[in-house]
Amino acid sequence: MTGERPLALVLLEMTLLVLAGPLVTGAIQKMKARLQCRQGAGVLQPYRDLTKLFRKGTVQADTASGLFRSIPVLVVAATVAAGAFVPVVRAGPPAFPLGDALMLLGLLALARFLTAVGALDAGGAFGGMGASREMTIAPLVEPVLMMVVFSTAIAAGTTELGALAAHRGTSWLLAWSAADFLGFAAMLLLLPAETGRIPVDNPDTHLELTMLHEGMLLEHSGPGLGCMVLASHTRQIVIVAVASALFFPVGPAGAGVVGVLVGAGAFAGKILALAIYLALVESSYAKLRLFRVPQYLGVGFVCALTALALRIL
Amino acid sequence: MDVDSGLGLMAACYGAGALSSLLLARLSGRLALGVGHLAAFAGAVAGLGIALGVLLGAPGRTLTQPLPILFPFARLSLSVDGLSAYFLFVISLVAVAAALYGPAYLRAHSPDAGPARQAAQGFALNVFLGSMAFVCCADDALTFLFCWEGMTLASYVLVVSDDRDGENARAGLLYMVMAHGGTALLLVAFLILTERSGAFDFMALRAAARDLDPATRTTLFFLAFSGFAAKAGVVPLHVWLPRAHPAAPSHVSALMSGVMLKVAIYGILRFAFDLLAPVAGPLPFSWGWIVLFVGTISAVLGVLYALQQHDLKRLLAFHSVENIGIILIGVGLAMILWRQEGVGGALATVALTAALLHTVNHAAFKGLLFLGAGSVLCRTHVRNMEELGGLARRMPWTAGLFLLGAIAISALPPLNGFVSEWLTFQALLGSASRFHGPAGLVIVFAAAMLALTGGLAAACFVKAFGVTFLGRPRTSHAEHATEAPPSMIAAMVWLGAVCVALGVAPGYAMPLLDAPTATLLHGPVASAVVTARGPLVLSTALMPSGADATAISMTMVAALLLSLTAIAWILRRGLQPALHRAAPTWTCGMKPTSRFDYTATAFAKPLRLVFEALYHPRREVTRETAGTPYVLRRIHYAGEVVDLAETQVYHRVEREISALSQAIRARSTGRIYGYIGFVLGALFVALLLSELGR
Repeated sequence: MTGERPLALVLLEMTLLVLAGPLVTGAIQKMKARLQCRQGAGVLQPYRDLTKLFRKGTVQADTASGLFRSIPVLVVAATVAAGAFVPVVRAGPPAFPLGDALMLLGLLALARFLTAVGALDAGGAFGGMGASREMTIAPLVEPVLMMVVFSTAIAAGTTELGALAAHRGTSWLLAWSAADFLGFAAMLLLLPAETGRIPVDNPDTHLELTMLHEGMLLEHSGPGLGCMVLASHTRQIVIVAVASALFFPVGPAGAGVVGVLVGAGAFAGKILALAIYLALVESSYAKLRLFRVPQYLGVGFVCALTALALRIL
Repeated sequence: MDVDSGLGLMAACYGAGALSSLLLARLSGRLALGVGHLAAFAGAVAGLGIALGVLLGAPGRTLTQPLPILFPFARLSLSVDGLSAYFLFVISLVAVAAALYGPAYLRAHSPDAGPARQAAQGFALNVFLGSMAFVCCADDALTFLFCWEGMTLASYVLVVSDDRDGENARAGLLYMVMAHGGTALLLVAFLILTERSGAFDFMALRAAARDLDPATRTTLFFLAFSGFAAKAGVVPLHVWLPRAHPAAPSHVSALMSGVMLKVAIYGILRFAFDLLAPVAGPLPFSWGWIVLFVGTISAVLGVLYALQQHDLKRLLAFHSVENIGIILIGVGLAMILWRQEGVGGALATVALTAALLHTVNHAAFKGLLFLGAGSVLCRTHVRNMEELGGLARRMPWTAGLFLLGAIAISALPPLNGFVSEWLTFQALLGSASRFHGPAGLVIVFAAAMLALTGGLAAACFVKAFGVTFLGRPRTSHAEHATEAPPSMIAAMVWLGAVCVALGVAPGYAMPLLDAPTATLLHGPVASAVVTARGPLVLSTALMPSGADATAISMTMVAALLLSLTAIAWILRRGLQPALHRAAPTWTCGMKPTSRFDYTATAFAKPLRLVFEALYHPRREVTRETAGTPYVLRRIHYAGEVVDLAETQVYHRVEREISALSQAIRARSTGRIYGYIGFVLGALFVALLLSELGR
């Protein structure tokens, strides 16, 4: 069991996640481009996009309420705060309790709630369509994700992600039980849905018939849009980090700066593995019709429920 | 002032309010309304005082107050123990807001109301509040049933008081039938007990329940549970709720949804853990499991039906069905875990704490949401969301507070709804790892359904808030709306503050839950289990060993969220000064009108299709063409979603009853002698039966 993480480390890890978020998106885009035999933009492109957005002026819909301006701020704050609850460089619970997996999912849900509310504010049909579809998929994804968390939480006796990762220890596939495999399968099914990727959503499109998340961002511009984009990068890396905390073994624990660096390296490796998975899925499948998505998530639900059942039987 | 004399003061306030409303109406209706609500406010404040006095006083403190002897055969008394005080606290919390909100709302909503109606409203409100408070304080079956009936009748008067169409009268009738069906079941349960005890006071009933055989005990519990479930709006006994609650004036809707349903929860707790509980050992197996199952079903179906409503108040009423379900999940778990060998009392305390905390949380945010809906209603006179829109620019306070309530009810951090759902999840997870086999599966299923409920509630409130308050106004009613009067805003701010306080610093509210958990469970109290690590941290141990406890700190998370918001706010201003301008929303080159805004029906359509099996949606599209089928003049769309309980159960029962009534009608002569004959015959048969049974 790894020791506790002091508050400074928790905040450092959170900052690290936010800073690395766009890099993951850039890496996935690059890998997709290579898989499609294109050169593609550099992995640092998302950073360039963000700085450009934060330099721009804003155009706001004249029908939007006063709430509209604060939506991006609240969304990015909630998403980044969720990043404080995942262990990055070291496993183990934080020295002072902060939040657990349920709190993390709650904050991501809060961000999504506010995004959808913002989408309805401008009064265009695209925003409404995006919000409606997002809020159709979300209630179906969230319970499955919670059940995946529960299936590991019941074994570990806690829903705190740092402690969950510590409980996983350094055990790798050979030490997994059937419940772990099923839970991991459900997690792999959910990852594209939660990160807004094919086959559930398509991050590269602005066609009204195909988009979910992008539709909700249409009316944001300039720094506001920058906040929203940063929030979706952060959300992606947080979800991937949750998956790695739940199922991947923690890196070798060490003290001091060396330990932190080794932990960060191990973390980067885990995130890269899952990013490759996402890029492969995006390149090899087509987007599902909206009303086929519940069936897709149904498979994940069955996996997660079976994983939970195996834990308690 | 002393807490002991508080009960008399509270009764005096409500009584004076009721009487003065009736008497002053001859002088001026407005005066009657004002004085009536003022007295109700004073009564609610007195109620808060009593409740806090008992809850925060010495452990095990109980207030008792004998009542004047009205009947020679029964000793009547009031008693406020921990459980009573807690529910009195919940009632008074919302009653304060309702009394503050009422006068301005009634004046703005129905300015042409006559003094008779105003007198009736002032009178009924005081009777309603008083009887709710005294149901929880009753210490004998007669007082309990008398106040219970007073609560039903007064709320009926308030439901039909807003008589603009026959709809209210029909809703009131359905409410009366369902409520009295429930009361009849309660009456039977109480009569069976009193018949054994020979007295009406709870002490004697407890003694009589001690040597009941298990079958009778379980029958009595389910009689009482069904009676209370009808009042609480548990599926499938909920059909009256989405009709009656919206029909009442909005502050009364807030009371009915936020508080009256909780009185039924009080009844369930009082019967299960106190009156009918066996002397030792766990509660009978079937009780907790059935309550848990019924609660799960109510939670899911309540939110699913809420999603398809366009009427703002009706939507909120369906959400009460959902939240009662969530409370019952906690109650059911506590019943399962209580005194269970090898499980430990701490987990039962967590489950009960979750249920009780959700009781006050739901009272606060549902009260807030109903008051918000009332502000919209009194400024626009429209309840249908499809005719609203754009109100956030016109009613910023109402919109902001409604959003706060929406976030709280969707169980999102950092507000109070999340705290109680988190505790419920922890209790579910903790018990799932202890009950192996099928029992564990039921608990896991409940956890999955609770997760689904939270997600669907968020979807529903994005719709409710977005369609009502955002975008462009869809009708002139919405376009010309103005902000609600200050007293109404103040009432909402009070409930909003409760939501924030219970969300950000729930640890400080835990001592309030000590007395009820101690009264019911006789085990570890709430604050000793949940806030074992200080008031800033909520923690529960899922494993019996207590190792690896899960701990969160709502306060720390709120502080983190706040500081990140401040940082993001600076980021939002951009890296360099740049142009900000407003422009119309892009609508593909057409002139933007409110027709481009997504409607509530459209918003909920994907979920309607996903859950088609539960909705049986009916859709009718008629096209009016001009000569050829290619030129459309008009398209008329009508859609409807049915409530399965209503079509599958109630319509069938209704058909049977009307057939029976038709048959009886054919026999009825219309002559008074015939009816007297029937009455005498029935009396004779009843006497004969009772003689035979002896």
